[in-house]
Amino acid sequence: MKALLTVWMKELREFARDRRTLLLSLVMGPLLTPALLIGMFTLIEKKAQSQSEKPLEIAMVGAENAPNLVAWLAGQGITRKTLKGDPDAAVRAQDEDAYLKVSKDFAKDWREGTPALVEIVHDSTRQDARIPVQRLEGALQRYGQQVGALRLLARGINPGIASPLAVSHTDLSTPEARKGMIMSFLPYLFILSAFLGGAYLIIDTTAGERERQSLEPLLATPARRSSIVSGKIAAASTVGMLSLLFTLLALKLGAQFAPGIGRNLDVTFLAIMKMLLVLAPMVFIGTTLLTYIAAGAKSVKEAQSYMTVLMLLPMLPTIILMVSPVKEALWQFTVPFLAQNQLLLKVVRSEVISPLEWLVYCAAGFGLAGLLWYAATRRYHQERLAISA
Amino acid sequence: MIIAEHLRKTFKSKTGDVVAVDDVGFRARDGEITGLLGPNGAGKTTTLRMLYTLMTPESGRVLIDDRDVADDPVAARRALGVLPDARGVYKRLTARENIRYFGELHGLSRDVIDQRTRVLAEALQMEDFLDRQTEGFSQGQRTKTAIARALVHDPRNVILDEPTNGLDVMTTRGLRGFLQHLRGEGRCVIFSSHIMQEVAALCDRIVVIAHGRVTAEGTPDELRAQTGETNLEDAFVKLIGSEEGLQA
Repeated sequence: MKALLTVWMKELREFARDRRTLLLSLVMGPLLTPALLIGMFTLIEKKAQSQSEKPLEIAMVGAENAPNLVAWLAGQGITRKTLKGDPDAAVRAQDEDAYLKVSKDFAKDWREGTPALVEIVHDSTRQDARIPVQRLEGALQRYGQQVGALRLLARGINPGIASPLAVSHTDLSTPEARKGMIMSFLPYLFILSAFLGGAYLIIDTTAGERERQSLEPLLATPARRSSIVSGKIAAASTVGMLSLLFTLLALKLGAQFAPGIGRNLDVTFLAIMKMLLVLAPMVFIGTTLLTYIAAGAKSVKEAQSYMTVLMLLPMLPTIILMVSPVKEALWQFTVPFLAQNQLLLKVVRSEVISPLEWLVYCAAGFGLAGLLWYAATRRYHQERLAISA
Repeated sequence: MIIAEHLRKTFKSKTGDVVAVDDVGFRARDGEITGLLGPNGAGKTTTLRMLYTLMTPESGRVLIDDRDVADDPVAARRALGVLPDARGVYKRLTARENIRYFGELHGLSRDVIDQRTRVLAEALQMEDFLDRQTEGFSQGQRTKTAIARALVHDPRNVILDEPTNGLDVMTTRGLRGFLQHLRGEGRCVIFSSHIMQEVAALCDRIVVIAHGRVTAEGTPDELRAQTGETNLEDAFVKLIGSEEGLQA
């Protein structure tokens, strides 16, 4: 136990003397994540606002065939602009979001009372074009309904007869949950920084120690190997937890400056503490797993090459949930990454997490960390570990 | 006192098993310096690693102060001061902190560590770089730091694996004096080397190892008598069976 404390303190002291790495892991990370969030929020909000409120200017091919329609659209904030060259090419080149094509026979069809063709030409794979297209479509539909109703009235028929169904949406989602939807990527950022927050230190003190030839003398001391490994894991977890705490506090601070975050996320102190508790097992799982991997690696370079794979792991649940959304169930709180993902979303949406869910989650999370810790200490008992050269 | 009996160790490789150490046995007494001499790859480091419990022998046993190390490896490591072949020091710690770290791992109190550090720093002449971070240390300064931290707990038995490797003449001379000083204190000192002048100048008893086996054991005089050579160098060549790897 005393040896554990000795190793723990020594690794932290060595880490603290490496100014640049210290800054990178304790300042840069915590600053970058909230900065990224604030930036994205401001961008999304601005875009949504400008796209749905600003007058929309689009090209209208064959506008001369439907002067009334064009005039009506202008009243709805959708104005005509002239376009040189092929409009199809402009949409393909993404210079234009969409354009309206009025058929040659529009006037004739209109007079005869047969459906007159107007086309919205757009590229459905472009996110940017979504809002303009929706606005245009909505406006056209309203125009169609209006004129249709007028025509029926002119013939002495109640327009209600032509619409046997009245379809409307009632959105039961809480306002908080709607905010959470935009934030589906937030858990990934936090899980990743918890999972790999202590990575540098653990690789440096396991594979790095072996590479720098100081492991053999260390193992020749009477200190138990399990104490040595545990000390290293404790040091890396300390750094991971600190970096996580700073990230969350920076997020809290950022919410003061960017009201978008506060409106969309629960960032009260209680929520911050809950997030820290949710992410704590992740820190231990990350450091113990990395210790297990790095202890078997012959060099720092080899250990680092595992990092790319590990960075993808926290993304898995997000991807799986995107492809096949599952209903929330208790078993989910036992699956690493998925559990953190679900719980973090619950916290930022200010939903209640039941004591049973906490219990299952903590038991599974710390249990897995314990297993990985055991595996890592077993690895340090291997004979070939000490023989680096 | 360190006694090795019938030690054997095999390593697995792609081309089949390699016997690194085969039936090695010797006795290193207190108040004597025992030299392990042999060419590179003879099995010296593997033998030493079995002595300080980093490796478990396939057969045979090691006794330190008459206790089998297999029964209590932790106690064995407590009774040993080891300078392994790998002697990396922590670059961002000072020499003093390196020594203190090992002292704490041995469970020593701060006072004892400080006092031992003073004694060792004086004996190894390392006062002028004791409080510098070891980044940028010369080979000699690194070795001295590694030796000091290996001996911080004042062990009765000292094992040094090629301690003079890469050191200049003056540092080597200083180190030799230090080993004699350890012997004078009644400690059991084992050191390995592939340089015969060094072994000849320093050792009370010599164990010659070649191809994983002990080919001869005795005082320098006994070795000379055994081979019928008056020159120690010729005696070594005869015992090892070739001149390979014996150059300084």
